[in-house]
Amino acid sequence: MDALSPALEAPAVEHGTLGTCPVAPDALQGIKRQQTNPARWKGEHWAAFAAELSSLETGLSESIAARGAYATDAGGTAYGLPHGVVIAKSAEQIANLLKAAQRFRVPVTVRGGGLTTEGESVAFGGVLLDMTGMSRVISIDPASLTVRTQAGIFWHSLAEELRRENLDYLSAPLNLTSSVGGTLGVGGIDVNSPRLGCSADQAIALQVVTPTGEIVECSDMQNAELFERVILGYGQFGVITEATLKVRPYTPLRMHYYYYSSLRTAIEDLQLIDRNDASDYSGILTILDCAVNLLVAFDSTEREAAFRAQWEAKLRGHGETGFALRMLARYALRPWKIGEAWFLLQRKRELFPELRRTEYMRDGLMLDRTVVFSRAVWKFWGGRQMVIPDLATSAAKFADTVERGNAVCRRYFQHYTLYCVGIRLRRDHREHYEMSCIPPDAEDWAYGCEFEPMTNGRTYSRDHLQSFKNAIYDIGVDIGASYYRFGGMMKGYIRRVFGDALVDRHLALKRKADPAMILNRDVIF
Amino acid sequence: MFGSRSGTTVGTAARSDHTDCSGCSLCLLVCPNWRTTHDPRMTPEGRAKALQHGASLEEVAASVQACTLCGACEPVCPEEIDLIGMTLDLRARLADGQVVKVMQEEMKRKAAHSPVPVRAGRLFVPGPAMRIKDDVLKRISLLLGADVCGDDGADIARALKAGVPIPGERLETFLAGLRNAKTLIVEDGFWMRHLRVWLPKARLLSLGEALSSLDKVRRGLRKTDLYVIEPRSYHGDYERLVKHYDRLQLERGCSFNLDLQRIAIPPAGQAEWILKGRKVERIVVERQEDAESFALHGGCPVVHVAELADH
Repeated sequence: MDALSPALEAPAVEHGTLGTCPVAPDALQGIKRQQTNPARWKGEHWAAFAAELSSLETGLSESIAARGAYATDAGGTAYGLPHGVVIAKSAEQIANLLKAAQRFRVPVTVRGGGLTTEGESVAFGGVLLDMTGMSRVISIDPASLTVRTQAGIFWHSLAEELRRENLDYLSAPLNLTSSVGGTLGVGGIDVNSPRLGCSADQAIALQVVTPTGEIVECSDMQNAELFERVILGYGQFGVITEATLKVRPYTPLRMHYYYYSSLRTAIEDLQLIDRNDASDYSGILTILDCAVNLLVAFDSTEREAAFRAQWEAKLRGHGETGFALRMLARYALRPWKIGEAWFLLQRKRELFPELRRTEYMRDGLMLDRTVVFSRAVWKFWGGRQMVIPDLATSAAKFADTVERGNAVCRRYFQHYTLYCVGIRLRRDHREHYEMSCIPPDAEDWAYGCEFEPMTNGRTYSRDHLQSFKNAIYDIGVDIGASYYRFGGMMKGYIRRVFGDALVDRHLALKRKADPAMILNRDVIF
Repeated sequence: MFGSRSGTTVGTAARSDHTDCSGCSLCLLVCPNWRTTHDPRMTPEGRAKALQHGASLEEVAASVQACTLCGACEPVCPEEIDLIGMTLDLRARLADGQVVKVMQEEMKRKAAHSPVPVRAGRLFVPGPAMRIKDDVLKRISLLLGADVCGDDGADIARALKAGVPIPGERLETFLAGLRNAKTLIVEDGFWMRHLRVWLPKARLLSLGEALSSLDKVRRGLRKTDLYVIEPRSYHGDYERLVKHYDRLQLERGCSFNLDLQRIAIPPAGQAEWILKGRKVERIVVERQEDAESFALHGGCPVVHVAELADH
């Protein structure tokens, strides 16, 4: 029997009948103002709950030394402390925790790498469940090219284990501390996603602890409805404790960079490459509006040679030297833009060598893209505040959307980077994509763009950052896009983007699956 | 600068301290304690975050004392926090009065001995396990053309690691034995951060770098060797040494105890992980203590890098 089957038989929720709506624009409990921290859970029955966990030897820690580590997430703009912390050890332990939490109505916030930016992995009271305690690789099967792993593991730690077998994961976020479980719950985009899809599409099967504490194995064949809701489900329908993932033979990357002075042209070329399966990896990183980098990479010399023969001449970008000469001419004619030229030069001096560090390259090949890009991201874009609003659209809407988002960035920040990448969609996974970052009108590919301000050590007011995010997200409402980061402090956009009918249906499912609404409260519902 | 309050530790070019930790978790990924416990409280980030949120020293004591001082966290910290300095400073503040008294008395007794004079030139400072290996010591001395330091400062190293202030007279007798040396070669990279401050004019080399720079040693290295880099020296001078070992790997084809970020995995407690999935015929160690970590896992011979000159 499917774990969620009863929920699917529940009558559709008529909009407006639910009383206070947890997904309304002013949904953050107790706070009328949009997009801010939710109210802290007041701690009713905490002592009895803690005593229950203690009797079950669940490993609850209430010291500030334990709780302080989780006060914020990578975004650094949402702050909250849990009443207690549990470091995940087993599915059984988590099942006991969730059963007790249902009974005492204690919220449980699940955290992997803590790389959310809108407070989704911050606990505003209740229990913080740290999944990184479950970081063991259970088995690797080189014959079937699969791995079974505990879901708290960082993708990078998984890569360390797979490399010993000369294997690699398919795609994962370019960040060293993204966890497998957290990624499967939201999507996971890599520069090979235009070809291989998002990380969530690599999952073959999951072990999930439901909000009511049942331990359930699910896949497209077994408990499929639970699988559909947990994948890309923002942690609303269960805690992923184990995952079976596809893997592949390891190959280093042959990386090429092309430079554009037009964002639109670069996007058109990116989509040309994706449509024609011309490369194994592709993506766009902007430096300035007039300096846009299209990266293209390959797993084999054969693919690289085919690209050079068939597609390279069709790209309108330039190599590094050619582009440098164009920039020289540009600034010679515009001497008043010397500041911009200086910034570009500094970027070339500092960032480019970081992407070609000899210890991470061998014979011109990049040994590990996540190591190279994640280190660069933390070095050049990292900081105490990381605000990364994003937009996800169909291929047709993408260029217009990015240009509008870029204009917003220009209004708010002196320097910023846009990161654009395609996501190959699986037609057989359309149900997985419901109410997720994948926009409903996308066919075959969706495209995502992150708008990343470079704060250069400057601290901005929360209002400034929030206003910037709202301006980006309003574009999404206007054009019918989706977002990667629509939860947490941005959940006021959920109804506006997905519509009442879909949201109410998911809310009914959530209420059925999680009667006390304790799991990852205020992330979506 | 971190450590200046206690007077027992010296910082490197620290740009910030635990208050600057932004919680990126990059230190956690490379921390041997996290790898074995999967408990974030046992990591530099866990300590920094706890202190930022009002934890008392006692509440972070277990984590502070468990740190192996391998230094893997420092090269990956985007805030460039002096994480080893932070840990040593916390240890200094946690040091038990009775332990401080006993250790300082021992150091004062040693200070009564006159320093052993050394010639100007190269001087090798071995660790305790190496000191009892006469044959290896002689070989190293010969290969490097270096005198072996008569006073290895083992009591000082223990005190520094425990956060115990060093009596001035003891430090003076120890440094008097080193001052004439133009090049100091140390087996335990922990010394590097302190000697850089105490003897800024001396050239400092790790034993591993010094030996692996010799042609006759490099020639002895095989493709099927696992070469075990001493983590403290390596992480303390990461930007330079990562290139040194990269060249060695390109030249000899051996493998290293390095992860995908090129951070050295300390062998203590992790020998099994280092060996996992590798086809290794011989293990080459830079630090004598590391030989013991691999001895337990058997299967292939363990030699000191100095012994490669014989092969």
